[in-house]
Amino acid sequence: MNSDPIESDMDRKELNAWLMAEEGGDEEAADAAFAHLFSAVPRVEPRPMFVEQVVIAAWAWRARRRRQMALLWAAAVVLVAAAAASASVASPVLARTVVKTIAFVGGHTVPWLVAYASVALHGWLTLGHVGAVIAGTLMTPGRVAALVGVELVGILAFYALRRVAGAERLGDVQV
Amino acid sequence: MAVQRSDAELARDARAGSEAAYRELVTRYATPAVNFTYRMVRDRALAEDLAQEGFLRVYQRLHTFDPARRFSSWFFQVLRNVTIDHLRVHRIPTASLDELEEDGRRVSIVDREDASPEELAGQGELASAMTAALSRLRPEYREVVVLRYQEGLTQPEIAQMLGLPAGTVKTYLHRARKELAELLAARGWSPESREPTPGKTL
Repeated sequence: MNSDPIESDMDRKELNAWLMAEEGGDEEAADAAFAHLFSAVPRVEPRPMFVEQVVIAAWAWRARRRRQMALLWAAAVVLVAAAAASASVASPVLARTVVKTIAFVGGHTVPWLVAYASVALHGWLTLGHVGAVIAGTLMTPGRVAALVGVELVGILAFYALRRVAGAERLGDVQV
Repeated sequence: MAVQRSDAELARDARAGSEAAYRELVTRYATPAVNFTYRMVRDRALAEDLAQEGFLRVYQRLHTFDPARRFSSWFFQVLRNVTIDHLRVHRIPTASLDELEEDGRRVSIVDREDASPEELAGQGELASAMTAALSRLRPEYREVVVLRYQEGLTQPEIAQMLGLPAGTVKTYLHRARKELAELLAARGWSPESREPTPGKTL
């Protein structure tokens, strides 16, 4: 601990300058005075080998990454080459099988899909019609205006609630 | 006389594969990084591990760095994320505002220790008292104090880093200084007294 009276007196002067700025409500002066005072607080230093360890770790990761990328590229090239080779060898048989499969599946499923889509569409159209009738009966311009008003009030209340809750949680009060 | 290259230039060169540029960046930011993580976790070995992990993540994400932004601000954001991730996994309640009590004086696990002797050794009396008081602040206050007054980040930069409104950062700084003044006064460093009162501790 330092017990030098001159340094202690300097500390005291700087402390007083900061505290007076705080008490005076001068935010900028307090900020500057405290920054000056706080500059005496030493930083925690890393060990001497820290930089070397960090660089070694980063470059080891870089080397691993480059190896992985090289392997991935090699694997991709091999896969593409293998796929191309097998396609060129087996293409007539493969193409015939694929076309037959598509034709079979398509021939059996498309009519069903069309039929189901028609039924579903009919159901939706019916619901839409019912909805339009109900809306036409219940909704007058006055009711629509009232409904929109209620919605707006609700949205504003929800927004205000979120603002208040957020401010409380974060202690967001202006100094 | 050699012109010192900017952080952004070093980051660009490091991204391009220059080990020397990366080494220079690490050298520049080693102390701020370890100091910052230490203030968050209060354990030197862990602080260095987190700082190293932070530097690695920075290297891995150099391609996301926007040169229009100040490098230090981006760097501390990455470092903070690494630290917060660690604290979340290890369930140390240091950064959760929700866990703080209403009077704002709850002391988390990492704050219960007093400043280490080596940290206090060699400092002036007021600096020692300030270091000890800093360790008693709420983590979010301690964080903004270190970023603002030791690392020199501006309030808008801190706000962007922490994802908080600028007003909240300003409030944190104001309250942190106020609490530090109270803690120092409890240690005998009040404006009225001429000398620190012996025997008073935090």
